[in-house]
Amino acid sequence: MTKHSLCRIALAVAALAGLAGPARADEPGLTPTTIRIGMFGPLSGASMAYGFDVMNAARMYYDKINKEGGIHGRKIEVVQEDDRCNANDVVAAVKKLVEQDGVFLLNGGSCSAPVVAAKDYVVRSGVPWVMLNASGDGALYPPQPNIYGAFSISQRAMGGSVVEFASKELKAKKIAYINHDDAYGAWNLEGARFQAKDNGVTLVPEAVSPSITDVTAPVLKMRASGADALVIATYARPAQLILKKAQELGFNKPIVIAVNAIANLKQLAENVGSKDAFRNVYIEEVLAAKPGSEKLAWIYDLYKANYPDLAGKPDHPQVYMPYGIPSAMTVVRALQAAGPNPTRAKVIEALDRTDFDSGVMAGPIVLTKTEHAAQKASTYFKFDGEGLTAVPGSFASRWTYQGQ
Amino acid sequence: MNTEIVFLFLQQGIASGLVTGSVYALLALALVIVFRTTDVANFAEGEFYMAAAYLAFFLIALVGLPIWAAAPAMVVGIAVAAGLFQRVVLRRVAAARGVSVNLVIATLGLSYVLKGFVRATGFGDTPRSFPSVVPDGSVTLGQASLSYLDLAILGAALAVMAAFFAVFNLTRTGRAMRAVGMNRRAAQLVGINLGRTERLVWIFAGGISAVAAILIAPKLLMTAEMGGVVTLAFAAAIVGGFASLPGAVVGGFIIGIAENLVGLFVSTRAINVAPFVIIMLVLIFKPQGLFGGRLRVRKV
Amino acid sequence: MSVRVLAAVAVLLIGLSLALPALATGYVVYIGNLLLVFVVLSLGLHIVIGEAGQFSLAHAAFYGIGIYTAALSSKVLGLPFLAALLAGGLLAALCGLAIGILSLRMRDIYLALSTFAFGEAMQWVFLNWTPVTGGPNGLAIPPAQVLGQPILSDKAAFPIVAGVTLVVVALVAGLHASGLGRAFRAVRESEVAAAAVGIDVRRTKLLAFTLSAFLAGAAGGLFTTFSTFIHPDSLGFQTTILVLTMIVVGGVGSVTGALGGAIVFGLVSELLRQVPSYQEMIYGGILILVMMYAPRGVFTLVGRR
Repeated sequence: MTKHSLCRIALAVAALAGLAGPARADEPGLTPTTIRIGMFGPLSGASMAYGFDVMNAARMYYDKINKEGGIHGRKIEVVQEDDRCNANDVVAAVKKLVEQDGVFLLNGGSCSAPVVAAKDYVVRSGVPWVMLNASGDGALYPPQPNIYGAFSISQRAMGGSVVEFASKELKAKKIAYINHDDAYGAWNLEGARFQAKDNGVTLVPEAVSPSITDVTAPVLKMRASGADALVIATYARPAQLILKKAQELGFNKPIVIAVNAIANLKQLAENVGSKDAFRNVYIEEVLAAKPGSEKLAWIYDLYKANYPDLAGKPDHPQVYMPYGIPSAMTVVRALQAAGPNPTRAKVIEALDRTDFDSGVMAGPIVLTKTEHAAQKASTYFKFDGEGLTAVPGSFASRWTYQGQ
Repeated sequence: MNTEIVFLFLQQGIASGLVTGSVYALLALALVIVFRTTDVANFAEGEFYMAAAYLAFFLIALVGLPIWAAAPAMVVGIAVAAGLFQRVVLRRVAAARGVSVNLVIATLGLSYVLKGFVRATGFGDTPRSFPSVVPDGSVTLGQASLSYLDLAILGAALAVMAAFFAVFNLTRTGRAMRAVGMNRRAAQLVGINLGRTERLVWIFAGGISAVAAILIAPKLLMTAEMGGVVTLAFAAAIVGGFASLPGAVVGGFIIGIAENLVGLFVSTRAINVAPFVIIMLVLIFKPQGLFGGRLRVRKV
Repeated sequence: MSVRVLAAVAVLLIGLSLALPALATGYVVYIGNLLLVFVVLSLGLHIVIGEAGQFSLAHAAFYGIGIYTAALSSKVLGLPFLAALLAGGLLAALCGLAIGILSLRMRDIYLALSTFAFGEAMQWVFLNWTPVTGGPNGLAIPPAQVLGQPILSDKAAFPIVAGVTLVVVALVAGLHASGLGRAFRAVRESEVAAAAVGIDVRRTKLLAFTLSAFLAGAAGGLFTTFSTFIHPDSLGFQTTILVLTMIVVGGVGSVTGALGGAIVFGLVSELLRQVPSYQEMIYGGILILVMMYAPRGVFTLVGRR
């Protein structure tokens, strides 16, 4: 353990003992020279890959803004908390940031289901909350006055788009759809169902646990259903098991791997093993360009410059790293728009008028008073086990929130 | 559902279930030998297996060893580490109190340490595999299709189990292990070295976990969380009767096949609850599992 | 737990109820609330493991039953807090009784693993019984109603949580000293001997399971006073293991141990959030070291009778 982390523990003990009081001000977290932002996400444990580098990306973007002079003369100061992607810890982190550290706004959350646990508290306390890469549909529909999310993509939009692609581009009349039995899966299935009905195609859904070991049953059922295409809307490991099994069981229809599933394409090809498995595989992507392309290079360069130690570690930056940028951009733009004397109310007003192209995500970042899910577009690539070929055309989800 | 599909589902479900079941069975075997002799439910079993897979990966990918050298080196390494854990930690915990829940918590502690360690290397998140020793391709049995890897896993698992039964039943060491499991005091009286026997059991369990890792990692993929599969090995062991070696093997096959059949004929959502329903059903009717023998009254 | 220790706990809890909401931030009070819920959970598990010597690994399931029942009976039936909490406790107790009956024929590892299987199966039910539990979407918990007033903050909830916890601590300490407590321990030491001195072993075991599940359910009810959301992810084996760790590290068999273990381990877990990259290794290391060097628990020296 480093001296630094011992210090952190000591500070936390002091905080728990109630020694460190909350920052008192009319607008919390604001001084003439600084503006304090609370960031939280998984910095430890099994879900770390979903948030660790996403937080680093958002932080390095704030650093960049600070180096360019800050926002109306104020430097951004980030306070960071580990939420372990666990509901009780998310709530603890949020309460600590708001009440103990007195932050001006929250920019955090990488795991879709646990972040919903903080919803009511955030609404009651009025602090603006811009999620990082959590889809967080559960806190976005119905829209809450001060919560914004889905900066990578809303899960409903993801499900709708992939069905649009399968029915329009692949001409599938019957679409097999494997998702997870968790919140993430429930939300993307809702979008997928809507789109399938709207397009007049049949959807055959099967939900599996993220910890599944033998995928024979779902794959065999999908093959027997006579579907014309298979959508895999699962996390990376199950997706790779399914892909492998589909090839072993001779499933020869097109397969679409839905977004967020695939960590690392080279590793994907290696894990699946056989090149034959990639004869007819498509990948849904939410970034504006292929990972590693010219358009996104500045993000990877910035990462290397800011975190030379991390960049040297295996598998870093983690795949979801760029997802932190559009969220931080949104925060910066709203703070700029709120003027030299920002208040939380002004920032919320500015957030409700967000509309810009991040250059990072496939579609524009759009927030309105009634729609707090930021990003809805995705692009498609054909993947042959080595290279990606873009599939032209746009495949938009048509699901909208209807109220309940 | 017409009969043709029912037959197809049955054949493929059972064939694939046997392969996955042999994986559960191997891990269950490692759990059972430890429990039988030392009375410890090893909560770190999954992490032994995880650590073994990563050790092999490091030896192959970072050190550059060929797999035929890396695999035995890793098996020896993990077996020795398991023996050390028994010698340094468990012996002390047992001497201090000897209540099995304390031993269980100590193994739980080890599981956290190993997971944290693998994550700290940076390799723990992205699912990976290491080069499989088996070529691509598959065979068709009836309407069921199994890959060469599947067949290799099944064959190797059965071979390991057979070798293990031989050791356990035919050698002096094996008989000592069984004797300690039946009655520690009596075993000691007839001249069996308790500490040495228990350590050997842990070494064996570590070795089996390591072999399992080589077989399974290419099939199930590696992450720091891959040890979670051991929950199913616990299910297999308990269905078979926790102190029975053949029971663990049969239990493994039952769980593997049941998962597939439930997934195919009931719902894929029910796959992960099936093992627990089976545990409850089996224990209600046979409180000592299928091969557990009769109830022993013992002082806790 | 001696009367002195119990009195000290009472003074501490009452004092904190008065002082904490006034002096500390909502975050500190939230951690306090959470710790007290874990105290009640630990005392519940203590009854079945520490007193009666029976293994139960379904504690998170009973806790979940308590949370969902309390939340839904408040949401759907409009029950006030205390009634909702009792409803949660009673339903959990009923399930505990059922599991107890099924488990009468089993012991040791079989008992442990059949209750484990029940816990896993319940988590699956929470996740898949969508019309009732909200399934994977989780369930929004309505504000608890106390004397017709909704509880909307951690500070408002703390005195209630502390009060209920104090009652539970006193009850469990009383139980430990009572004839029933002695019957529990007799069954733990030797069922044959217990039966020989006229203790109804079956009944005693069933009581232990039922009481333990009741307290877990009540802890769930307490959770609903200061929380607004519950998701099945929080109700798995991890939570059971955390509570088990608390009582073992505190000292199996001791009321003070269960109480102290819950507080200390809850705090350690919260503080370890500050050292993300090392926390799993530190946590595991603590477990191993305590088992090696303080096998009777960290708290058994305090308040031993």
